[in-house]
Amino acid sequence: MSATEETIKDIIVKIVHCDREVLTPTSTFEDMKADSLDMVQVLVALEDEFDIEIPDEDAQKFQNFGDFAAYVEARVAEKGNA
Amino acid sequence: MLKGKVALVTGSSRGIGRAIALKLAEQGADVIINFFRRRQAAEQTAKDVESLGVTAKVIKANVGDPEKIDEMFDIIGSSFGRLDIFINNAASGLPRSALDLDTKGWEWTMDINARAFLLCTQRAVRLMEGRGGKIVTISSLGSSLVLPGYVAIGVSKAALEALTRYLAIELAPKGICVNTVAASLVPTETGMLYARGGQQGEGSSWQTTPAGRLVSAEDIANVVAFLCSEEAFMIRGQIIIIDGGTSLAPFSLVSKGGGH
Repeated sequence: MSATEETIKDIIVKIVHCDREVLTPTSTFEDMKADSLDMVQVLVALEDEFDIEIPDEDAQKFQNFGDFAAYVEARVAEKGNA
Repeated sequence: MLKGKVALVTGSSRGIGRAIALKLAEQGADVIINFFRRRQAAEQTAKDVESLGVTAKVIKANVGDPEKIDEMFDIIGSSFGRLDIFINNAASGLPRSALDLDTKGWEWTMDINARAFLLCTQRAVRLMEGRGGKIVTISSLGSSLVLPGYVAIGVSKAALEALTRYLAIELAPKGICVNTVAASLVPTETGMLYARGGQQGEGSSWQTTPAGRLVSAEDIANVVAFLCSEEAFMIRGQIIIIDGGTSLAPFSLVSKGGGH
């Protein structure tokens, strides 16, 4: 598991107050029992942590934690290559 | 007309903010489009503003975060060197009853809807100092009437209205006019979320007003533009209600009211 994915999990657990074990590639936001405010706060925290942007237009497409983590990792990698 | 003026409209990627940005641009103002989550929509608003022959600048900032407010005003200062008009429109909140509200939801709503107005105004005034300016904030009937699931936003809007009165008097000697526009339901994406959460079905009172239709984002933009004009110079610290008469005759809507 990458350091980025670890950080994503840290942030979700801190904001949503869910168990870390819930965060598997196929787990959905319903599984995490995250409401819409939780999700916005997670996105904002990740944007600040990695200095990236995750607009709602993209965030609405995530189906599960796997999609979400892959998207963030790709944004972080893009930034690293910029 | 607002030719040569520089205006900041918070939360102007869509809905009421977008309508205000376009109206001010139509009157000649250069417009700073602030957004939080919808970049594509903000860039579309900027494109539409520019098509009216004025300058548009897009700035991402969560106005619930004081640091982001500072960063936004630093950019405005370095890009324009001044500000003539500040429209405090950005708002957020969750549809919850009072007993279901937690501190996170409460603080989120208060920080974005009420505290941001104070903090942005403090920074805006520095860019208006010596030349005067116009500040307008957007409230809703939920500041004084009870709407379903609207408690946190309603309270934050009440704070906004009280702040309007205090700021209007404190800033009057500086030639800065501060007022609020308070509207009934506007059928934007966000407005409909609350309407659907509250009252269901055909004939529900949220579907119209005594004036025969719902308030549009353009109705609000028109009044905001007036408050930004010199004709409105002597209006200070007022809450201008735009509701087609709803707050005066709420029960007339049960029979679906008249109008055109």
